[in-house]
Amino acid sequence: MKVNKLFASLFLTSLVFTSCSSDDNGDEVNNVVAPSTYVFEHNNESSVNFGGQTTRIKMAEEFISALLDNTRTEEELDAMFAHEEGALDFSDADLNNSDKSIRSKIAASSDYFSTNTTASIAIKENFDNWINAQVTEVFPKWDDDAVAGSAGKIQQAGGGSTRYVNGKGLEYNQAIAKSIIGGLMVDQMLNNYLSTAVLDEGTNVADNDAGILVDGKNYTNMEHKWDEAYGYLYGNEDNPALPELGKDSFLNKYVASVEADSDFTGIANDIYEAFKLGRAAIVAKDYAVRDEQAEIIREKVSTVIAVRSVYYLQSGKETLESDKAAAFHGLSEAIGFINSLRFTRDNITNSSVIDATTIDGYLETLMADNGFWDVTPATLDQISDEIAAAFGFTKEQAAN
Amino acid sequence: MKRVIFVFVAALTVYACSSSDDSTGTTNDGKDDFNRGELLANIADNIIIPAYEDLSAKLNNLEDEKNIFIASPSETNLVALREKWLSAYKVWQSVEMYNIGKAEEINYGFQMNIYPTTVEDIESNVSSGTYDLTHPNNNDAVGFPALDYLLNGLANTDTEIVEKYTNTTSGDGYKNYMSDVVNQMNTLTNTVLNDWKNGFRDTFVASTENTATSSFNKLANDFVYYFEKGLRANKVGIPAGVFSTEPLPTKVEAFYSNENSKDLLVAALENIKNFINGKAYNSTATGVGFADYLDYLNNITQGEDLNVAINNKIDDASAKVLTLDASLSNQVETDNVKMTEAYDALQKVVVLIKVDMLQAFSVSVDYTDADGD
Repeated sequence: MKVNKLFASLFLTSLVFTSCSSDDNGDEVNNVVAPSTYVFEHNNESSVNFGGQTTRIKMAEEFISALLDNTRTEEELDAMFAHEEGALDFSDADLNNSDKSIRSKIAASSDYFSTNTTASIAIKENFDNWINAQVTEVFPKWDDDAVAGSAGKIQQAGGGSTRYVNGKGLEYNQAIAKSIIGGLMVDQMLNNYLSTAVLDEGTNVADNDAGILVDGKNYTNMEHKWDEAYGYLYGNEDNPALPELGKDSFLNKYVASVEADSDFTGIANDIYEAFKLGRAAIVAKDYAVRDEQAEIIREKVSTVIAVRSVYYLQSGKETLESDKAAAFHGLSEAIGFINSLRFTRDNITNSSVIDATTIDGYLETLMADNGFWDVTPATLDQISDEIAAAFGFTKEQAAN
Repeated sequence: MKRVIFVFVAALTVYACSSSDDSTGTTNDGKDDFNRGELLANIADNIIIPAYEDLSAKLNNLEDEKNIFIASPSETNLVALREKWLSAYKVWQSVEMYNIGKAEEINYGFQMNIYPTTVEDIESNVSSGTYDLTHPNNNDAVGFPALDYLLNGLANTDTEIVEKYTNTTSGDGYKNYMSDVVNQMNTLTNTVLNDWKNGFRDTFVASTENTATSSFNKLANDFVYYFEKGLRANKVGIPAGVFSTEPLPTKVEAFYSNENSKDLLVAALENIKNFINGKAYNSTATGVGFADYLDYLNNITQGEDLNVAINNKIDDASAKVLTLDASLSNQVETDNVKMTEAYDALQKVVVLIKVDMLQAFSVSVDYTDADGD
């Protein structure tokens, strides 16, 4: 936190000087205008690049599918999660040839984890443990019916989907997939690439002011950092400059889900506009406007995670009596989203909106005894209310 | 926290605007007139050169003891030799940082403490009997880590280790190799020390300007680089698995002697603390150090007391390190959280020295991290 403060003060210092000198020029109007789509250029060619983000989204897609293939070994799944360049972990050769990995960027943001590798490692190990449990607890019981205390399959009512759960009713694959949204996409976006510690790192400000492009690239370092944040949300779009949403199984999909809830309609556009304006502000060298947009993105994306946490707790509650499989499925997604809450960002405290200890408490409560087999509607409501209140909405608003 | 920033900014605003309004040049505010030469002289005369002299003395002792062992390999002589090795290794912790002058020119550090050492390379050198110890291929087969293996790792018991040296067919190969490694370390160290004493000291002290190649800038970078890489990453982070999927306990320093890795880390941190505060080597006397420079800069920039913050964070890290097992590999295997907590405490120092301290000094970082994305 001290780092943030120092960076912020250094950064503000430079702004102060800027404003003094612009006083002299009698020019103090900020009029950065966002383009209609996320298109930015130098020398008539696109300056936007986020290949690494697209790669990780695609890796994560293959990985979460493989979690439901009971012929997979733990080694194979671990290798997909922590890919090494050249290893034949994926069906897509481009992914195999990549030096990117999902695991190395989980809980790896500059602001939250650069001086807290202890927590970072614990979070990564939690993923490892879930992968191990999927293979050792759930895969061997693939054809058995799940009962309280014993892993197996459980089918949703009306001939619906079959879910594969552990003895507590948890689908590890869902917990993992939804935790990736927080641990990878949200953390990298909000706490790394939109952070002044990263945007303004080294000579980034001076280089951007002077229009100095990265060697062999068509962007300044600062532009690229901002684009990398953008890529974690829109990197799998057919046309990322004009996103349609629903184009991956991660943050992109759930921004669309929250947008579809009339209580939150407009949030998708708010995020998109803030990304465009912030990027335009970097081009205009107006870092105050840039940081205002970062704050908007942090607030809105954090809200998306919270709304889905509450949504799934409530959907689980609705079917807890009538359709256990459906309820367990929702609650498994809730576990992942709640786990993702620790990567959200409060713009005042610059830490997660709900602290890690409280989040761990929720997860423990939900997993106590026989987990979802035992959990009560009252417990689900209580956690829903607490999360909703922390983010300034109600569980009723999130539930539809 | 926000409030603090705003107050600070408000103060700066007044300061910045007023000073630009009456910029008559009569004030020295914001100008850095610190006497870098005095600082460099203190560090050269009272810290660097005495540390090299001590290392040279310890390596002479090591060479003498090595000659005794080679003349008469025994368990008693092996134990005595190990003591000399460890005592020199501890002094090395006060020298590794200074990759400047002759040390930089001859890649001294690469020939003294690259670990983990590569056992296959050592064994192949021993059996062939022909090798160039200065060749980069042998950087991981020489120096303190190679001796660690030769003194502690050749076999499980002292009796068996001594047998390696008394063996009629292969014994001479081990004797010769160990002897050559020790002699080489001593020779290299004297080369660097003599350069400091015969001219380089004055060159070093006179180079007070602020350029990428000036002494002060290189020293500041050496200090930060050593702390980040040599100390934080090599001694703690890599074994703790901070940069890998799994912890790597065999990558600790002095792996084969196994109960010395923490002591070496403690010695390294003590040296860091002494260096930054300008404290003379093996003495209580203090002279001008980075701490004084930071204090001076804080006075004129109205900034936060960075010197105190750095010292506090070093103390925090030392406290964490003291809770660790004498064997850092054992610590990683039994309770790695303590190890990563020590790493995190060290990383907090890195943030202060690499970003805030270098900015205060107006020194650019002369190396880059490989964090591709």
